[in-house]
Amino acid sequence: MDIINFIIQNILTEASITIALIAMLGLILQKKEIGRVISGTFKTLLGFQVLSAGSGIIVQVLIYFGQIFSEGFQMEGIIPSIESINGQAMTELGLGSQIAFTFLAIFVVNVIIARFTKFKFIFLTGQAVLWMATMCTVFGYFAGLRGLTLIIVGGIVGGIFAVLMPAIAQPTVKKITGSNDIALGHFCTIGYMFTALIAKFTGNVKNSTEDIELPKSLEFLQDTYLSVMVVMVPMFMITAFFAGPEFCAEFAGSKHYLMHAFLQAIQFVVGIYVLLAGVRLLLGEIVPAFRGIALRLVPDAIPALDCPVLFSYAPNAVIVGFVFTTIGSVIAMLVLPMFGLAMILPGMLTNFFAGGTAGIFGNAWGGRRGAMISGIAHGFFITLLPALLVGIFNSLGFINATATDVDTIVVAMLYAWILMPLLTMSN
Amino acid sequence: MKKIKILMVCGAGLGSSLACEMIVEEVIDDLKIKANLEHSDISSAKGYNADIIITASNFQKQFEKFSIDETKTKLIYLKNIVSKVEIKDKLVPVLTELEIL
Repeated sequence: MDIINFIIQNILTEASITIALIAMLGLILQKKEIGRVISGTFKTLLGFQVLSAGSGIIVQVLIYFGQIFSEGFQMEGIIPSIESINGQAMTELGLGSQIAFTFLAIFVVNVIIARFTKFKFIFLTGQAVLWMATMCTVFGYFAGLRGLTLIIVGGIVGGIFAVLMPAIAQPTVKKITGSNDIALGHFCTIGYMFTALIAKFTGNVKNSTEDIELPKSLEFLQDTYLSVMVVMVPMFMITAFFAGPEFCAEFAGSKHYLMHAFLQAIQFVVGIYVLLAGVRLLLGEIVPAFRGIALRLVPDAIPALDCPVLFSYAPNAVIVGFVFTTIGSVIAMLVLPMFGLAMILPGMLTNFFAGGTAGIFGNAWGGRRGAMISGIAHGFFITLLPALLVGIFNSLGFINATATDVDTIVVAMLYAWILMPLLTMSN
Repeated sequence: MKKIKILMVCGAGLGSSLACEMIVEEVIDDLKIKANLEHSDISSAKGYNADIIITASNFQKQFEKFSIDETKTKLIYLKNIVSKVEIKDKLVPVLTELEIL
């Protein structure tokens, strides 16, 4: 009994160890040499700790930003960041192990569905599965699920989405790439389909975004972290300006309060950078292992990959999608508070990756005009959905953040608005 | 023979660069050579001092601004970053030039 208790208390509830063991299992199943197994396992362990460190940095900045925002504008200002939600859930809320097991369960369910149905998609975007596992766990927990049930339900819901989302995007992906070799594995797909629909009715496929010459000054936007900084710096400085020097002094100390706000904005990007560097280490061994196993079990699998695999097919559409999604998200930021919702600041990482992909989808169905109009609609859509979850996140103890990636948000809504009422009724 | 370092690059250094890395690993294994494979984001790519950088063609203009010394680091741009055929076609000449093959 003592040994079982020891295992439960010190290994299975310690997320870094759980995840490292999953990676080790994957490496052993692939029959890698012993040195590779050891180094891969420790890299994964290191990744989790780096991720936690990044999360700590982000939380500090979010506490500061939340306070100056409510002082400056007398309302809640929420930063949408699925990275931050994941970091806080894994570390501050102590759901790390459950998330790790749900992550594994999603993969298992995905492989089972691909093996036995005609949907042959294997979802290989590790970080997207991690975000999905996070939302399934957090909202399953919110709905009252615990232990094994929490993990199994998360695995089934996440696993179905891991096949369904690439499946609904595939006709458009075929149109874009001209082949059926790869699929899109990114949990913003409901947003892309919404964009495609709007573009179909507002645009004209004949005038492609790829025939226009874009201003050279927009090219730096391809540098992801730089473009996050470009938006965060003015956001923080304007907010600090409205909060005023006296209020900010509590945080800034002897430093000038605007300089302090500037550095805090940079610090936010540092947090995201560190957290994602952790994710890179964490998944660098697990994803190839999953792929190796999946290809053996599902020989005719179609890998569903991260959205930038499509970017080189329509680079202009990526920029157009990013710019117009950002415009849409700024409009939503200003409009939503009028309806009593929290003010959601533009989440630049999502705007770039989801916005860029939405641009490609918009262009595929509606050319340049379609991409622009549907881009604005997309920006509004991906800001509205997370706004609806702010209350639940606050009640769970998350600090000043909400999720991004609309598919994970739709999953959260299924838990909160369908599963939870059903559970309460049956009790 | 020195082990060469190949770096796969994408925007955030998470998804598509890793997807690319997995295919490059297959190509490298087929060619029966050894290489250190890493993936990273575009902001930190220059600091790696890789022998070869492989990235998507949409990043070409960005890389041209980084003034990377192409005698030390070879750049390969891909249209489809997970196409084994394209990777092989573009990687083999570079490996031959570096006298790895």
